[in-house]
Amino acid sequence: MKEQEISYATLPEVMISQVARTIRDGELVFHGYGSPVPALAMLLARRTHAPHMVHIEGATYGVNPDPPFLPPTSNDWSLSRGSVLALGITDLFDIAARGDMGRMFLSGVQVDRYGNLNVTAIGSAAAPRVKLPGSGGGCNLSADVQHITIWTTGHRASLNKAGKRQYRFVKQIDFISSIGHVARDGRARAALGLRGGGPEWVVTELGVFDFDPGTHVLRLRRLYPDTTVQDVLDNTEFEPVIAPDVSVVSLPSPADVALIRRFDPLNTHQREFKSTDVSRRFSLQDSQ
Amino acid sequence: MPVFTSEQKQASLAEAAAIVQDGMTVAVGGGLSWREPMALLRELIRQGRRDLHVIGTAHGVDVDLLCGASAVSIIEESYVGFEQDFGMAPNFRRACQQGQTKVHDTCCHTLLQQLRAAEYGVPFLPVRSIQGTDFLQLHPEYKTMTCPFTGLPLVLVPALVPDVAIVHAQYGDAQGNLKILPPLVADMLFIRAARHVIATVEQLVPTEELQAMEPNIPYFWVEVVVEVPYGAHPTSCYPFYAYDRRHLAEYYHAASAGPETFAREYLARYVYEPASHDDYLQRVGGALRQRELESWKEGDDTWRALFTAPEGAIA
Repeated sequence: MKEQEISYATLPEVMISQVARTIRDGELVFHGYGSPVPALAMLLARRTHAPHMVHIEGATYGVNPDPPFLPPTSNDWSLSRGSVLALGITDLFDIAARGDMGRMFLSGVQVDRYGNLNVTAIGSAAAPRVKLPGSGGGCNLSADVQHITIWTTGHRASLNKAGKRQYRFVKQIDFISSIGHVARDGRARAALGLRGGGPEWVVTELGVFDFDPGTHVLRLRRLYPDTTVQDVLDNTEFEPVIAPDVSVVSLPSPADVALIRRFDPLNTHQREFKSTDVSRRFSLQDSQ
Repeated sequence: MPVFTSEQKQASLAEAAAIVQDGMTVAVGGGLSWREPMALLRELIRQGRRDLHVIGTAHGVDVDLLCGASAVSIIEESYVGFEQDFGMAPNFRRACQQGQTKVHDTCCHTLLQQLRAAEYGVPFLPVRSIQGTDFLQLHPEYKTMTCPFTGLPLVLVPALVPDVAIVHAQYGDAQGNLKILPPLVADMLFIRAARHVIATVEQLVPTEELQAMEPNIPYFWVEVVVEVPYGAHPTSCYPFYAYDRRHLAEYYHAASAGPETFAREYLARYVYEPASHDDYLQRVGGALRQRELESWKEGDDTWRALFTAPEGAIA
């Protein structure tokens, strides 16, 4: 699609551009499997503001790939096409363990106020009410990587059959699969001897957050044109910090949106979203 | 790792699967939807193997199938699922929630360190991560210590020696030398760490031909080799064939519908009833389907089309 024909960005596209903007030029950046939003954010960042980032691909560990399309499964040759070479699995995790991985992206079915994430089990891990797929490399990487960008397309609480809100941003997390800023026993990362800086940004379908530097609690920084502070409060079981200068995200340029659509002709990223979020559209006419 | 010096390692699927005994720790090669040794796993199920302890990084249909056939009692994987494709792995989830399998989730670097301890011949290796997460509670075998050199808190993870590693390689020779094309996932570590290695290969080639391909696994680590074209189906095995997403959709729907439906509509049809691997290949679409799965190399459009099958698409 030509850039001049692009009149709107979808919410997923805006989220991809927000995740892309958390990437700094020159960082060595890695995304896990099953992560179309960060995968597209990395492709976008490398072609816009971060031309010197090192892009390590999901499950193939291809270096600086140029995939012809984004398939719905991550360990596929299409995703490493154009790579100079592919790293081995120990190369990749050793880079992180020795502190040389700049950024990684993690998500969670439960997120707590400190950015601890659960992708292991709802209920007790020994006898789970719901067994989740597992953390992949997330447990180790959350400790080792310099900066983590958390993304989730499931911030909004759902109602259960009894009409009770089922939160994803919870007060009490059932299992800590990856470590945020403060552990269960109250120890902060430094006291745990962890190398990395922990979660830096959290991008959700309701807003963009960082963490309050004093308390390490999730802090709202930006909303979308169609979300409010009240939406965030209503869908977060704990009380997030609200920054005094909450702003509205800047929308991607039509050129950025054109790139995203070119990278993902199968719209694989939309599978991460509820259809009601895919249909949220923001006009780009004013920004042209 | 014993040394297997026989000149002739060729075996049948049934002979190879017989190396695996009930209760063994099994490292399954490949990952997610790529190069998983599916034909050998189906044979293990046909032979009625039980109580396997499976280990690995991020996996999908391989582990889910073993769960659906009640062959597993401990799962020590970092992920089992179908990503954006189909989501949760139904049999895996059911087995964990109903207590048929012990939840023993691991994490990639942790598992790699445990395999490397086995590879290096040391009893454990330290990691700086894991602390502050609930994996410490899930794994009482991990220990913590203060580093005597730096004073840093560390987690020690014990060497993990798989009883058997099962891998599917693109090429091999009759002696068991292998050429595995990347992504190698954890296969190289599995092979070096395990007591027994079973290899299935897409193509068995003469040793001279394999030498020209720069093989990456020497014969003396491999106990048996079985030539099984399409041995990774329904996962991909490039450069031969792409992932059979249409078959995965059928698998996923049968598994989601419950254990009885899965047993009747999947296990019976694709695991127990086929008289041979060739019979299985006929049942999944035969030569016609194989041509489609091999069409990825004709161009980006035909490759992409293999991922657009509308049936089985999840919301």
